Amino acid sequence: METKWGSAPVRAGRILMFAAALSVVLAASLTAQDFGAQGRSNNQAPAPQNVQNRATKTPRVAAPQDLTGYWVSEVTELWRYRMMVPDKNDYEFVPLNPEGRKVADTWDPAKDQASGNACKSYGAPGILQVPGRLHIYWQDDNTLRMDIDSGTQTRLFHFGGSAPASEAPTWQGFSVASWEGAENVDTRDGQGGPIQDDAGRLIPGRPLRQADYLKVVTTHLRPGYLQKNGIPYSGNATLEEEFDTFSDPYSGSTWLTVASVVTDPQYLIEPLFIHVHFKKIPDESGWDPTQCRANEPR
Amino acid sequence: MRSTKSNWKMKVPWFLLLLLVMLPGRMARAQADILGEWSPRVYNDGVDVGDYTGIPLNEAGRLRAETWHPDQIDLPENECRPHPIDVGLRVSVSQLRIIPELDPETQQQVGYRLHVAWQQPEQVIYTDGRPHPSPNAPHKWSGFSTGHWEGNTLVYTTDHLKEAYLTRTGVPRSSKSTVTTRIHRYGNYLNVTFIINDPAYLTGPYIREYSWVYAPDQVIAPFPCEIIPDGTILPAGSVPNFLPGKNDILYNFATEYGIPPEAALGGAETLSPDYIKKLKTMKVAPRTTTEHFKRAG
Repeated sequence: METKWGSAPVRAGRILMFAAALSVVLAASLTAQDFGAQGRSNNQAPAPQNVQNRATKTPRVAAPQDLTGYWVSEVTELWRYRMMVPDKNDYEFVPLNPEGRKVADTWDPAKDQASGNACKSYGAPGILQVPGRLHIYWQDDNTLRMDIDSGTQTRLFHFGGSAPASEAPTWQGFSVASWEGAENVDTRDGQGGPIQDDAGRLIPGRPLRQADYLKVVTTHLRPGYLQKNGIPYSGNATLEEEFDTFSDPYSGSTWLTVASVVTDPQYLIEPLFIHVHFKKIPDESGWDPTQCRANEPR
Repeated sequence: MRSTKSNWKMKVPWFLLLLLVMLPGRMARAQADILGEWSPRVYNDGVDVGDYTGIPLNEAGRLRAETWHPDQIDLPENECRPHPIDVGLRVSVSQLRIIPELDPETQQQVGYRLHVAWQQPEQVIYTDGRPHPSPNAPHKWSGFSTGHWEGNTLVYTTDHLKEAYLTRTGVPRSSKSTVTTRIHRYGNYLNVTFIINDPAYLTGPYIREYSWVYAPDQVIAPFPCEIIPDGTILPAGSVPNFLPGKNDILYNFATEYGIPPEAALGGAETLSPDYIKKLKTMKVAPRTTTEHFKRAG
């Protein structure tokens, strides 16, 4: 039957088209709200060209978090292992294997101090557990720098690339940094090929989630201590860290949390998890650089 | 030609319908996947009477903590008492399960439900925008929680908590506490950060963080708990306690670890690196042993 809306099949098709188009608009709107609800400043998914622009930004410009500034340790975790030098053989919370225990049992701080190894407990896997202050700033567009007053140490977080093959082991090792947490949609076009625009240019997937934390992976470490009392890590250890910063609405404090995972097939039976927290402070007040000291908490 | 155009017109609605079906699935993936079974990697260091280290405890909190007696655990009302989630995830070192919380009528997700193995406390985190109840509403062991996503982090606030403990050894947390929790998955690791604000017993925010590892094959066993009748373990009607100033085991922890007694009792000042200098000037009781740690575990 013909009406001004057309035949029945066509009418049904138009109604379906309208409903589907409406739902697409609605879903797109909900998606935008969804991103907004996750703390995004932009409530719309970026157009492909914006994605390409972002890809050309330096890590400094693209930083989703501002980690720069001065921070001071808030020692709420493992207090007696950090504010004091723990007893020899006290490795209660470290999953040491027999070889690791054997090495820990030979700890001799006086010998370390005398032999130029006083910095063994200030290497990257242990340094943030040592109570102190941090100064974080961009050394250049691709390198985030962390100065630490305890032991007067410096860590450099290199964005992009990997450690040079000839990199020599050091206390702070070589750290590769990246902004993590992003996830893109499937970039395939449904037939296994890449999505292209009308001009045939490749279109990256629209990001579902944007990067929002700093991941740092450190290798090329000079063997050192996980704790002040000689709990060892080897030159084969890998340190993976997640840096996150946020504000607490009740106290008004700005926090920097660092969750670390130390993997060391030589001395650990499983990865060691370490958590440390820092509060933001306005300036360098209290900055107290020390030398490495084998038998002092900092 | 006309036939081809007509076929195209017929296909478009079905294509758009297909899009309609697919889009909600894409939106669901916009949040990090924290669901599933998680195995603890938690180091619980507050297991000794008199160990208040690392806690910004105030004088009232310290006084309450000093009156706590270890035998209180055997009181009938405490035998099956669950730890609230913010404490339980640390002190009981338990397996964790996170599942979606569904509205029973619409079957739409309205939040997340955390289930902890030891004593089986559960916490529901509503992410559907509902308000917190009246301050006069009942307080529960795991309180009332509402949350939202900040990037990849589920952030939620819990209030309406019952009075509970911050450690296994009697450091109190009041029913006026508000706990901000951040759950963040990175790879196969799950990080949970708690910031406890308690105007009654803390001088400032108390931050703690723990990790779990994804364990899809993990099985959480039931946790049956039977209350033993009053008078079976302890004399009926008694409540073991220490009167203020009469706790004769309060400083054992400090003595055995060589910690100045005052420092072991916590407080905001003790959390700062600057306190190390003060520690060096404080008196330490003669140590009776340097192998105290071997008791643990």
